[in-house]
Amino acid sequence: MKRTIAFTGRAGNPSYGTDERLPRLWRFALVAICTLILCSCRGPEDARRIASSASPSPALPQQASTGVVPAAAWEPSTQPPAGPPGWESGVPLPYQPTGPWSPPGIARPWPQDEYLADGGDQGIPVAVTAGRQVRGLEMEDTVAHFDTRDGQTHVEPSNQVSLYSPRFRAVRQVVGASENDQRIASSGVNLPVRLAATGDAAIPGSTKQNLQTVRQIGQKSITIARSRQGDGALSSAIGPLGFQNQFKPYENVAVIRTGQFEASELAWLARGTTAAITWTSDQAVQIMLDRQTASAVVGDLKVDTLYSVDEPPAHPKLRVIKVASTPFAEVGDTVDFTIRFDNVGNQVIGNVVILDSLSTRLEFVEKSAQCSLPAAFSTPQNEGGSVVLRCEIAQPIEPGKGGILRFTCRVR
Amino acid sequence: MAILPRRLADDVMDSAKRVAGRIAIAALVCFGALGVASAQQPPVHFWHPAGLPPGAIGGQQLLRGGPLPGFFQPVEITAPPGVMISLAEEGRFNDPQPAPLRAGLLVGQVYRLCAFNLPFQPGVEVFPTIEVIDRLYAPRGLETRFPVHIDIPREDLEMAAQGKFVTRVVYVENPGAALPTQGTATEQSWFDVTPGMDPLAVADTLGRPIAIVRLGGRVPDHNVGPDMSFLFGCPPVLKLPPRPAVPAPQAPPKEQAQPGNSPAEAAPTAPPAKSRSEGVPR
Repeated sequence: MKRTIAFTGRAGNPSYGTDERLPRLWRFALVAICTLILCSCRGPEDARRIASSASPSPALPQQASTGVVPAAAWEPSTQPPAGPPGWESGVPLPYQPTGPWSPPGIARPWPQDEYLADGGDQGIPVAVTAGRQVRGLEMEDTVAHFDTRDGQTHVEPSNQVSLYSPRFRAVRQVVGASENDQRIASSGVNLPVRLAATGDAAIPGSTKQNLQTVRQIGQKSITIARSRQGDGALSSAIGPLGFQNQFKPYENVAVIRTGQFEASELAWLARGTTAAITWTSDQAVQIMLDRQTASAVVGDLKVDTLYSVDEPPAHPKLRVIKVASTPFAEVGDTVDFTIRFDNVGNQVIGNVVILDSLSTRLEFVEKSAQCSLPAAFSTPQNEGGSVVLRCEIAQPIEPGKGGILRFTCRVR
Repeated sequence: MAILPRRLADDVMDSAKRVAGRIAIAALVCFGALGVASAQQPPVHFWHPAGLPPGAIGGQQLLRGGPLPGFFQPVEITAPPGVMISLAEEGRFNDPQPAPLRAGLLVGQVYRLCAFNLPFQPGVEVFPTIEVIDRLYAPRGLETRFPVHIDIPREDLEMAAQGKFVTRVVYVENPGAALPTQGTATEQSWFDVTPGMDPLAVADTLGRPIAIVRLGGRVPDHNVGPDMSFLFGCPPVLKLPPRPAVPAPQAPPKEQAQPGNSPAEAAPTAPPAKSRSEGVPR
């Protein structure tokens, strides 16, 4: 009662105390607003909760050099996380050294900037044109293309290999002490000037000038007068006076006339809506059925024995697997890459060419490429300033056969 | 006659209820839109300029969440040969050590260093600060093998000694946009930005900023000694041993790495440093 009186500001009037819906509504509104404000505030999230609830990230290979992340590496461990040497001496480390965490606004997988990726076919798919031109080979792509007996060219990418090798750079800014100086220029000069002499200028009292007439300008009268006269006819168009002042029978309900619904006219309104549905249904496509049934045709001829010769369909397939010698490398280290290619199809493939566009941070070591099959190597430059290792296998590869390509890179 | 004021009061209350309902709906819409707008953040790492006071950017970074609080990020501070570096601990500078210096620094804290025995400038001391604003996510066991490399070159030390203020934003380079330049383990390439530009924003376009190094500016009062405000409270430091001459045994498991194939395992020492001009993209 006191709240109601205090809210309405009319103390002493007991008639307002009976309606408590208004303050209750205000309370609900205030609770809703406060809840929204509290929900909109963001605080630091619990790292352990995030690390344990989020899904594993495939971009953080920890053990396998082929880029496959073992599931055990991401399982939450009951053991305290390993840290730098010496952390057991009493300094608690409430963190997960690794985990599928990413900062807000950054798409996963993350952090990609700490890993060197090589292999696969990222971005635009690699394709080989009719003129044997390779299109879509981007940096870090590793693919192999080959020809089949029917003249088709297929492209097979390899798997992706990730190496943990962060590299650091810096952005420097040098600010001198003179940056904070402020030079104020003079805005003007105050130079008092004294009068050297005085002079009086006498203004003439009156002037008189006689002007003669130069020419005579006269006005010319109108010689031709044109009049505009109509044809004498009069036309008038009378518009409609207004809407017909009567409702049609099905409109003569209060909800149509005044917009107010009356319960007594519910039956009329239902009939009108039913009629509307009926009228609408009449506009639909009508199906007419005649009384004739379709005749069935039954045959009694049957093939006794069917002979067929099945030729297995052509299924050319080249499997390309790429591995690295180490899952991590520092700047200056050398990493050996091995590409295993096998003809897992059912026909001979030829003109097998393996392409590996190296990342800019991988420097190809000259004369380090070798292949178990007779092959020709070349290292044209790619778009990033690194090289593309091109290995062209000289011989066709039989089904079930394959080879190994190996080369060495130095991490920049 | 008593009915009229009661009706009037009911009308007033009805109108008040309608107004309250509309205010509540408007508040719902406004706060909902505000929540959606705040959730849409640009895909950059930092929105703060590098000109903020030391510790401000790291503090903001800690508020953004993630496994950053309490993490000692291993760093390796390199300097020209002969330069001695000491970190501020417990209100004073500890025993100086020759560069490179390895230590674990807390993310979001500011550490004061003292660098002296500068080449060709005997008796000159420079007091740079290091603010780690992010961390690495190295595989387990490799945290100390891959520290954040913070290089303080001789040129920066000389400029700081001359009274200039040098800001270096160290970032993890994006491998997709890395320049094909040969890097070394002891030197670090950098870009120069003009005083009107924000080095943190530039570094954010090139990679992920991870530390801010500031040189120049304040020097302690030699009569009184460094106070705690000058040392930024001396946050705790995790001492790390120098880089081992032999590979650490915990680094790679046997079935995952092949030590025989990696020359880095056999000879982990850094390759000979090349000249600075080769690695610096200008």
